[in-house]
Amino acid sequence: MPPTPPIVERPQRWDAAFDPAMTDADVDRLLSIPPFSKMSPEKFPSRTPLREILRHDASIRRYRKGEIIVRQGDYGTSAFLILSGATRVVLKPDLPPSLLGRQAPVKKGIFRTLAQFWSDRRPPESFRRAQLRQDANVGARQNENEEVRVFLQDLPRVLDKHRTEEMTAGDVFGEIAALSRMPRTSTIFAASDTADLLEIRWQGLRDLMRFDNQLRQHIDQIYRARALASYLRATPMFRHLTKEQLDQVAAQIEFATYGDYDWSGEYKRLAQAGSVRPEKEPVIVQEGDYPNGVVLLRAGFARVSRKFGSGERTLNYIGAGQFFGLDEIAHNWRHPQQPVNVRYSLRAIGYTHLLIVPTRVMEQLVLPTLTAKELPPPVSLAADEPDVRAAERPNENVRDQVGGDVLEFLTENRFFNGTAAMVIDLDRCTRCDDCVRACASTHDNNPRFLRHGPSSGRLMIANACMHCADPVCMIGCPTGAIHRESFAGQVVINPVTCIGCKACYNHCPYDAIRMVDIRDETGEFMVGEDLKPISKATKCDLCVENHGGPACERACPHGALTRMNLNDLETLAQWMKR
Amino acid sequence: MTRFRRQLLIGSFLLSLVSVLAVMVHWRFNRTLPNYAYLTGWVLFAAMTLLAVYNARKKIPFLPLGSSEAWMQIHVYAGFFTVVPFLIHLNFHVPAGWFEGTLAWLYVLVTASGIAGLILSRVLPRRLSTRGGEVIYEKIPAIRHDLRLQAEALALGAETKSPVIAEFYARQLSVFFAGPKNFWRHLLESRQPLNAVIVELEELRRYLNDQERAVLEKLAQLARRKDGLDYHHALQTALKLWLFIHVPLTYSLMIFSLVHIVLVYAFSGGAR
Amino acid sequence: MSEQLPAPDFDSQNYERPNQKWICGHAAEGKPCRPGPSARGRCQATFECAPVLEKKEGEPKGRWRCTRPGGACETGPLPDGTCCRPIPKCSPLPTLRTRRGQFTLAVVTATVAALLILLGSPPLRTKFINPGELSTPHSSDAFAKRARSNQVDQTCGACHKAGALGPSGMTAAAFHASPGPLEIIKLAQARTAEMTAIDESCQRCHTGHVFHQPNVVRDISCSFCHAEHNGAGPIAATTDAHCGFCHGEADVMAAASLKGTTFPPDVFHVARGQNVFQAARPPGGFTNILARFAEHPEFRVHADKLRDSNTLKFNHALHVAGETIPKLPGGRGLDCAFCHQPEAAGVYFQRIRFENHCQVCHSLQFDPETPGLTLPHGNPEFVSAFLHSLPRQYADLAARSGMTRTEEQQRFAREKLERLQARVTTGEDLERRVFFSTATDGPETRLGSVSGGTHSLYPGCAYCHEVKSGAQHKAEITRPILFERWLPRGEFTHAKHSGVACAQCHPAATSKDTGDIILPTQRSCVSCHSASGGVSDSCATCHTYHKSPSARR
Repeated sequence: MPPTPPIVERPQRWDAAFDPAMTDADVDRLLSIPPFSKMSPEKFPSRTPLREILRHDASIRRYRKGEIIVRQGDYGTSAFLILSGATRVVLKPDLPPSLLGRQAPVKKGIFRTLAQFWSDRRPPESFRRAQLRQDANVGARQNENEEVRVFLQDLPRVLDKHRTEEMTAGDVFGEIAALSRMPRTSTIFAASDTADLLEIRWQGLRDLMRFDNQLRQHIDQIYRARALASYLRATPMFRHLTKEQLDQVAAQIEFATYGDYDWSGEYKRLAQAGSVRPEKEPVIVQEGDYPNGVVLLRAGFARVSRKFGSGERTLNYIGAGQFFGLDEIAHNWRHPQQPVNVRYSLRAIGYTHLLIVPTRVMEQLVLPTLTAKELPPPVSLAADEPDVRAAERPNENVRDQVGGDVLEFLTENRFFNGTAAMVIDLDRCTRCDDCVRACASTHDNNPRFLRHGPSSGRLMIANACMHCADPVCMIGCPTGAIHRESFAGQVVINPVTCIGCKACYNHCPYDAIRMVDIRDETGEFMVGEDLKPISKATKCDLCVENHGGPACERACPHGALTRMNLNDLETLAQWMKR
Repeated sequence: MTRFRRQLLIGSFLLSLVSVLAVMVHWRFNRTLPNYAYLTGWVLFAAMTLLAVYNARKKIPFLPLGSSEAWMQIHVYAGFFTVVPFLIHLNFHVPAGWFEGTLAWLYVLVTASGIAGLILSRVLPRRLSTRGGEVIYEKIPAIRHDLRLQAEALALGAETKSPVIAEFYARQLSVFFAGPKNFWRHLLESRQPLNAVIVELEELRRYLNDQERAVLEKLAQLARRKDGLDYHHALQTALKLWLFIHVPLTYSLMIFSLVHIVLVYAFSGGAR
Repeated sequence: MSEQLPAPDFDSQNYERPNQKWICGHAAEGKPCRPGPSARGRCQATFECAPVLEKKEGEPKGRWRCTRPGGACETGPLPDGTCCRPIPKCSPLPTLRTRRGQFTLAVVTATVAALLILLGSPPLRTKFINPGELSTPHSSDAFAKRARSNQVDQTCGACHKAGALGPSGMTAAAFHASPGPLEIIKLAQARTAEMTAIDESCQRCHTGHVFHQPNVVRDISCSFCHAEHNGAGPIAATTDAHCGFCHGEADVMAAASLKGTTFPPDVFHVARGQNVFQAARPPGGFTNILARFAEHPEFRVHADKLRDSNTLKFNHALHVAGETIPKLPGGRGLDCAFCHQPEAAGVYFQRIRFENHCQVCHSLQFDPETPGLTLPHGNPEFVSAFLHSLPRQYADLAARSGMTRTEEQQRFAREKLERLQARVTTGEDLERRVFFSTATDGPETRLGSVSGGTHSLYPGCAYCHEVKSGAQHKAEITRPILFERWLPRGEFTHAKHSGVACAQCHPAATSKDTGDIILPTQRSCVSCHSASGGVSDSCATCHTYHKSPSARR
């Protein structure tokens, strides 16, 4: 074995530290307190030592009283450990959206609807000053690091009206949202005059868990207890199980996370270089392997593909809530004398969080409870004709329905993420721009999308917000201006709290967000105290405030434009054949 | 059956049904109902108003007034239907008077332009998407300008130093790159304009060295892109141009119709 | 890789705003200015930034700071606070849609202007809004004169009250119309008999509203059937549908039939012309439901097998085809046209007159040896008187034939009388023979003809006429009535049928009896007047709706 060269390879992902201000002293201090003091550094590999993880993936943050640490409904990439001070978690009732810097989801009243008759006289992107004024209950301020914090102004009233619970030093929160890419379940704010928290980004947390059993068990336990049981109960496959059986299943389920949490940035870079290829995506299940278990997608997307020639042919992609591998396991269970291996490969596209129900658990607990009808049909043993059979099962192979080119097009551009993508049929579209004008007249004379975008054949996916299943744009919004509408889940931006930081704009891989310099009513550009123009992130809000649904879709005279969930390829296939 | 085909089938069926019904009602009441011409006139005017109101609907997309597609379907079929009350109202005669003649001609022009527009709207988009090079209409001048700058830089720029290409560009290509070209030929799906340019470029090849040929190759590439842009410009313009007849004349038609109604009532009696 | 062209690259960092009416003039070069044109298409470009005056405490003047997007410029604002980088002005371009809007506005303006000009000036207006040429009667000088005497406008105003008004007056008139423009339900509920303003105008000249039958149950206004402004010539004909409005409706016809029973039968008689053959009205009246002429019932003369009641004995067959009929003067044979001579208008025929049509053969030469002397025709009294004054008549004949001297004339008369007396026993016998003899029992004597080519025969008045012996054995001749109209409810223009031989419709060659009515049957009319025959079969082809003014009761 040749000697290892004395060069310490600098891990790539630490090119940019989470917080460059972290000092050795900070790290030393952290290593002296639990849970880090209880961890054994020797268990960490040389490439990712505990110390470096803390240094590069963590940040010590000081919050002042009333400042919001995590916001209910936000997508966060990090977990928090309370170092000192106290925080409170809001239990019941939830804080109103206005307190969180969001817009209350209200439909326009008659007056505001009719006011749109003369809104087309307004200059583009103009705001009245009053429109930009912050809600009296919520304030935003910048701290010394130029970090924007939103704080609750009338704290006593919040404490009076809402049941809250205190969390103190040593408590950890936000880890499930960070790891499973789920929205935060509740709002937590600083309750003491100052509260110091350690924020660990998810990569760090993942590594800590990987190399520290105690932490992993701790978080797994929390996860199993808080989120898993209810999730499993809602999954049709497990509906016949008793509570005890379900607990057994939950206890044996394995978690896995694939891909890069910030896949969108990476993807944008790759797409620009023209090198998005399925072969480079991390493999979850390999075609031809023994089926280890049923894969349940909890978050993110995965591509189902099959070897074809020297490449991979995409057959479908599956999203959150769908599963993979049941066919083979069920077949093997019923026909043990004729076992089959996995017929397709499953690859993570972007970030994927999944649960794996081991084959043994399936065979012992789950499959016996399923009726013959609920079981998948047996797998055909003639290896060269899976497509024929798959065609009988529409969810399995939609390739034939939408066409291979469209499927590759949608996959390569990651459009399956869109729950309300703007799909334009170029064979019908007369390019009349009625959709854009309708959009403008419902948004104070401002269009909120560009009637252009990637196209393949007769399909064009316009640069309009797709209201993604996995809204990467929401990661990292400092003020919570970009958020999901609580009712129907549309992703919207509150222009009042948007500070124009471009985080969402840079994250969105679909060019759906545009920065605009705002003006006053006379058309003059507004300038901040720093003498720089004030810009806001803008995008399609799916006409959340309007009656009758998205104006663009309703405005198309030729039925050429639709807002569609691209994760549902059958609908797309039907629409294309309409 | 696809949705569009079903729409076409149901629409055509309803159109023929209503038309046949109208003709039957006409036979039945033609000479027996007093004020028959008034009634057919009002039916025609109501139908025309319904058609004209579509424009107003387009101007208020924020009110939940039904989808534009549904309106369009109604617009198309109701538009075809008006031909029946129109002919009945005119008693299948060409009107003799100046006023009524003008009114009838306005109707004919509006209807004919509408049908032409419908055909264009169904035919041209398919051709556009087949050719590709999708572009937003308002961006075309800027892109053309950019292509021209690129072409000029290639042909006349200091790096090329090819008098043959420079001369050729000044003589032939500069005109091609200067503005939108070959509107009618593109509309008629002729490949001749691009072929002519390419043939001329090929012709030039024999006088060039390897380095110049590479430049020529790039110029040909730009010419193809310019041609695609012209194609989009021509077809997208055609998709908008028919409305220059349809919309203004609709206003004239409605004004004339209103005056016609006033005149008929002022001179009331006698019209059957 | 598809054969599709790739989409060209362009700056997609900003929204495309087709809702804006104007585009920056620099956009064509790919460099639109940041502010963009105003809503009215004015260039709003000024400077790249609007510097801000920053005052720090203690500083009296403050400092102008650059606010340029993308970082402050190197030179910074000028001392007076203006930016040092002006943006070149442009002339914003309208979008294609804006151009359409401008064009639309122009067209609308032109339309309104043209309408104002054409409707504003009276002479232009009349010409402009006239929906079509008037019928000849209504555009005649006589009509204008009549309008003048009625003290109304001589142009449109003669019939239309609004005709003399200007645009505003017309608008007011339109809203005062009954039913008004907004009373659409009323339009549909209007009754056919309602006289509109225009009907009242009609009745100013066409007084009375006269119907073809008194038992009409569904009254109809003038304008319901008659449409003006349909071109020169007579006012446009009505159509079968107008007739079918009543005659196509069973209940209307039943009601009319019922109503007909309440009138004395003679009110239905048609008295058109002098000698009209009156067929008895059928019990239900003429209230049939017809859709086309082929369904028309057989004419009453045939249906009821009616006979001509004329007392004159006339054998059509003999006259048309008889071999015994001599040639006429000039060698012409006897044909229909000899007796049946068309009227000037060609519609019907001139009345048959003894003098014109019979006399040439039936010369009433009672003395076979004296061709020049004929009996007078028309009155038996005259004939009696003639016979009683025979010497005088012979003498007159002699005078007419050139005997100037009285003795000569008297001798001529005496000779003639003697010869005549050789034939007849007495004067009474002569008179009886003249009146009552018929060809078959008269003296078989051939008489010389005037020209020598033809022969005239005088068997006696009764040969043709019905002669009765009245008081004191005086002969009374029943006055023959030659009917001139057989189908009085229809019109028939013989001139239009000149292409058809008489015999094709009138079976004269087979009719030997005066009682035969040798009219065509409905069937034979239908052979041409039907869809298959190709000739018009509308009601109005034969029937007129209105009673003629002379026939009014």
